[in-house]
Amino acid sequence: MATITRRTRDRWDQLVTAVPDASARDGRLPRDRGRLVQVGVVGGLIAYLAATFAVANGSFFIQNLLMTAAIFGILAISLDLVAGMTGLYSLGHAGLFAIGAYSMTLLNDEFGIPVLVLLPVCFVEVGLVGAFLGALSLRVSGLYFAITTFIFTLVVTVILVDFEFTGGLGGLGGPTFPDFPAGLDVLGDSLVWAVAIIFLLCVGAVWCIRASALYPVLLAIRDAEPYAAAAGVRTATVRIAVFALSAGMAGLAGAAFSFLGFISPGQFNWTVSVTILVMVILGGMNTHLGPILGAAFISMFPILVPIDPFVEQLLYGAIFVLVIVFYPTGFVGLIQAIWRRLRPRRLPGVRAAQDEEAAIDDDIEAVPAAPAEAAQSGLALECRDIVFGYDEGSLALAGVSLAVRHGTIHGLIGPNGSGKSTLVNIIAGRLAPRSGSVTVNGQVVDGLGAAARPSHGLMRTFQSAVMVREISALANTTIGLYSRVPRMALRAIAWPLLPSGRRDSRVMNAQASATLNAVGLDPAWHRTRVADVPHGVEQLTQLAASIVASPSVLILDEPLAGLAAGEVDHVSRIVRDLRRKGVTVIVVEHQTRFIFDVCDEVTVLAAGEVVRSGPAAAVRSDDRVREVYLGQ
Amino acid sequence: MTIPMNGSSTLRIADLHAGYGRFDVVRDVALTVERGQAVGLLGPNGAGKTTLLRAIMGLLPNRRGRIEIAGTDVISMPTHRIAKGLASIVPEGRRLFLHQSVEDNLRLGGLTLAGDQARTEALLRSVFDLFPVVEKYRSRPAHALSGGEQQMVAIGRMMMSDPTLMLLDEPSLGLAPLAIRDMAAALERLREQGRSILLIEQRVDLALQVCDRIYVLSDGRVAEETKAADVDAAGRRLIDAYLG
Amino acid sequence: MLQVLLSGLAAGAIYGLVAMAFAVVYYVTRVINFATGQLLMIGIMVAAAVSAAGLPEPLALAGGVLVATLGGVLIYGVAVRPVLAADRFSFAWLVSTLGMAIVIQSIAAIIWGPTSRAFPALLHRDIMFFPGGASLSWQQIAAIIVATGAAVAYEVVRRRTLFGKVGMAISSDPEMARVVGANVTAHSVIAFALGGLLAGIAGMLVGPITYANPYLGETYGITGFVALMIGGVENPIAAVGGGFVLGILSVAANTYIDSQASDWFPFVIIVVVLLVSPRGLFASGLRWRRSRGGLATAGTNS
Repeated sequence: MATITRRTRDRWDQLVTAVPDASARDGRLPRDRGRLVQVGVVGGLIAYLAATFAVANGSFFIQNLLMTAAIFGILAISLDLVAGMTGLYSLGHAGLFAIGAYSMTLLNDEFGIPVLVLLPVCFVEVGLVGAFLGALSLRVSGLYFAITTFIFTLVVTVILVDFEFTGGLGGLGGPTFPDFPAGLDVLGDSLVWAVAIIFLLCVGAVWCIRASALYPVLLAIRDAEPYAAAAGVRTATVRIAVFALSAGMAGLAGAAFSFLGFISPGQFNWTVSVTILVMVILGGMNTHLGPILGAAFISMFPILVPIDPFVEQLLYGAIFVLVIVFYPTGFVGLIQAIWRRLRPRRLPGVRAAQDEEAAIDDDIEAVPAAPAEAAQSGLALECRDIVFGYDEGSLALAGVSLAVRHGTIHGLIGPNGSGKSTLVNIIAGRLAPRSGSVTVNGQVVDGLGAAARPSHGLMRTFQSAVMVREISALANTTIGLYSRVPRMALRAIAWPLLPSGRRDSRVMNAQASATLNAVGLDPAWHRTRVADVPHGVEQLTQLAASIVASPSVLILDEPLAGLAAGEVDHVSRIVRDLRRKGVTVIVVEHQTRFIFDVCDEVTVLAAGEVVRSGPAAAVRSDDRVREVYLGQ
Repeated sequence: MTIPMNGSSTLRIADLHAGYGRFDVVRDVALTVERGQAVGLLGPNGAGKTTLLRAIMGLLPNRRGRIEIAGTDVISMPTHRIAKGLASIVPEGRRLFLHQSVEDNLRLGGLTLAGDQARTEALLRSVFDLFPVVEKYRSRPAHALSGGEQQMVAIGRMMMSDPTLMLLDEPSLGLAPLAIRDMAAALERLREQGRSILLIEQRVDLALQVCDRIYVLSDGRVAEETKAADVDAAGRRLIDAYLG
Repeated sequence: MLQVLLSGLAAGAIYGLVAMAFAVVYYVTRVINFATGQLLMIGIMVAAAVSAAGLPEPLALAGGVLVATLGGVLIYGVAVRPVLAADRFSFAWLVSTLGMAIVIQSIAAIIWGPTSRAFPALLHRDIMFFPGGASLSWQQIAAIIVATGAAVAYEVVRRRTLFGKVGMAISSDPEMARVVGANVTAHSVIAFALGGLLAGIAGMLVGPITYANPYLGETYGITGFVALMIGGVENPIAAVGGGFVLGILSVAANTYIDSQASDWFPFVIIVVVLLVSPRGLFASGLRWRRSRGGLATAGTNS
């Protein structure tokens, strides 16, 4: 494992130095614009601190109002991190919030630990609880995850109510936050500063993650889990880690909340969980400002609108319905609609791509070459006696053996239902065979999951491309580099602030862009959302994502499905070029012209068994093959 | 299995604009499918072929112009009424009801005949005759079938509503050569029964084999229209080049 | 012992009917209608008001059920249909149905005030005695019978009729359901109406015990939802089963542990249930195997 990590880092460093003009090629963020962004960030920060100073010296009413809003803002943005980016709709955040608040109060009360020490303790402690909750998402997702976490909140509330040490229904008085030392008291109320800083850190972390190279990966875990795993993402671990981070933030929010006065179970019951989710959706899920706007609105509305409580409730509910019905993307959608009305803009140039039809350039040079270790002779891939069945009865694969030589193109064909895709899924680690063994580049990879195989040089594509529809083809392609970028997940939390993060983003974009060009995708498509591209572009994007990380063994599962004749020729050229660069390619395909034109060797499967395997010409003229497959 | 006669065109499209949101993908398209004809739609990716099929089936809210199926104007008709004997579709990606059995999928295809037991059973029988393997797996859940078998169920589901016009979006996708041959034979038999077929197909050879006439779509417009029989080797190369 | 079981079943029947109201709507539309509890409440309030106006009790009950049913349709039209039309996979309905819950509740509070009012007692006056000294009111017995009957009837429709299969087709792919000729809007309206009907009936059955109060919706909305989770959302009969389990557990906890135990004991059970079977107590092994099979075969189209 350690050697793989080191090798990853070395190879990435090589790539980074090999792309010195990355920023120039990328061309999206010229120097002066980068400077502008920096100035904006510093200016914003100064304004934020100034505002905090004003509030810290302001009235108690305003302080309380804004601190409550900020604390719910943290909760909302922490929930948005898991719900918006990874699709885990947690209703456990009220419970996590409660654990943060009660931990702060009880640990300070009982053991006299200083609150400044306890803040990180709460973060870690609730983060660990979150890791446990996040682990549940491996068994259930979607609605069931929401339900399970909902129950978690109920249980926390029940414990708070029914046990002595939590003070029961009456609750506990929160700890007091230490004042500033004498010299600093011009700053005003210390608690305001504490809440402001925690808010800034949490919002900053989430915004950094959204700006990081990990963001497309998280969306892939949400929308296209197999795609992410095939790129080498240990999806389960990342999901749990993100949930833990989100939980830690909720814990910090709880700790901060405890300083505001009394805490009691009623403040943390399940309705609070739902309210936090409502804040996120009402404000605008997976947006920078949405959750904060939602939190501000919901926490301040009842206080700032002093009318008859029944009418106020009525108005409150009506706003929920109206905003969501007319702007399903929430406040942010509303603001965008107003913005668009004020500044009418042209439609994005999606169609522009077709006007430059001549632009399919033949520069396949940019296709990354296979790494040096693949140059050895011998077998790139070997399957021995693979047996697999989906249920008790019939076998999908009954002892299949397959040997693929280095630097060859190997076709895998057979009638529908013969087990080709099953075999591919076993080679790629998505399915575990009942018996038999798979060897990649001389190393046995049995027992390794799908996410561990890319680091052995194995990449794959899927029959029907499922990618992240809401981001661009380029961003989808960068996901393929995940296994090549060292410690991407760890650095994501401060990504745009790290020089290495900004550099890696540039390199990744440049690399992805070059690969997309190489597979023949017109640059006009690169920045188009995958949701808006035709099927062929999607297929080519998937192909780019699978070769962007320079695999030594590449498995293509029906890469031609839905491609027009010209595109088929182009893919043939790409595949041949990959072979020239030492990449071993395994192709599952039905277009026999392509198979027998391009492949060196062909294996024919029928009913879970190998009918014939050998040089393409020999297989083509084999009588059994003609009978079971070609129908001649 | 009577086809209502109203002129001889099963499908007549004129001045059709259709697309997603406010954005037109198909622009000013005119197209006809005569009774008992199979018509192929060719064109590069993104040319608007799938959009056109979806517009005919009433699946796009944004559609303007004229679409007549068997003399009935369907331009503002909701999908579930178009489904009543006028048209049915084998959509991109098959889209079976994966957690229901093969037979349930087929019977759901015959939903619009509800009440007419005899006709439903007769149609079911004709699907089974066309695709014996579908009968073999009738009680399996649809997701347990392989891609090619699913394709057959999708075609069968389309047949079950006894539609005047059959729309197929790349039925050969993911099929092995033998299965493609069976599928093509099935389409020819349907055509012989007097069905009208509008077919999207990327594989020019297959389109020319199955279809009487070919439309080439490009950038949302009809770029070319020709009889399949008139396409000689040179023309075929031209089409190939055009699609590339 | 028998008394605990019987009282538990009676309470559970109400939870089960509310859970089924959730499940019927979910079955077709994949939406959890968070205003279901409020539909129960509005039914009770209307019935109480009609009865207070001096009209006959059966008429009051019918009026209550009718208003709850129409309320379900109204929620679909106002808060669900526009949201699903924009994006079928978003969770925006969570906000809009909760908003409707708040609106309905505050309207009820504005019209009738926040205090409890009398509700027609009807069958609740008559008690039936069982051997061993146990007893239930006829109203409670009716609740058990209605809940069981509704579940069985629904299950028969769902499994045996094409109509029920259309519901499943709509939930898995509404667009293809339209292609085969299903009127998706009509089905969704019917599902929401059925949800309202079931909630309304539950209201009429529990009204004599709770009296009429605008905040009843919250209480029964939550318990119904919890019952739904115990049973599993996938099919309505499981939801009713979840209701019975929850009812018996609550009454048993109150009787054998202490009077507050029903607050927490059922949740302990739920945690155990969810750890063992995350999809609910009645998610059958078959369904589980099927979904596993689905996962495994997802990529095997060759």
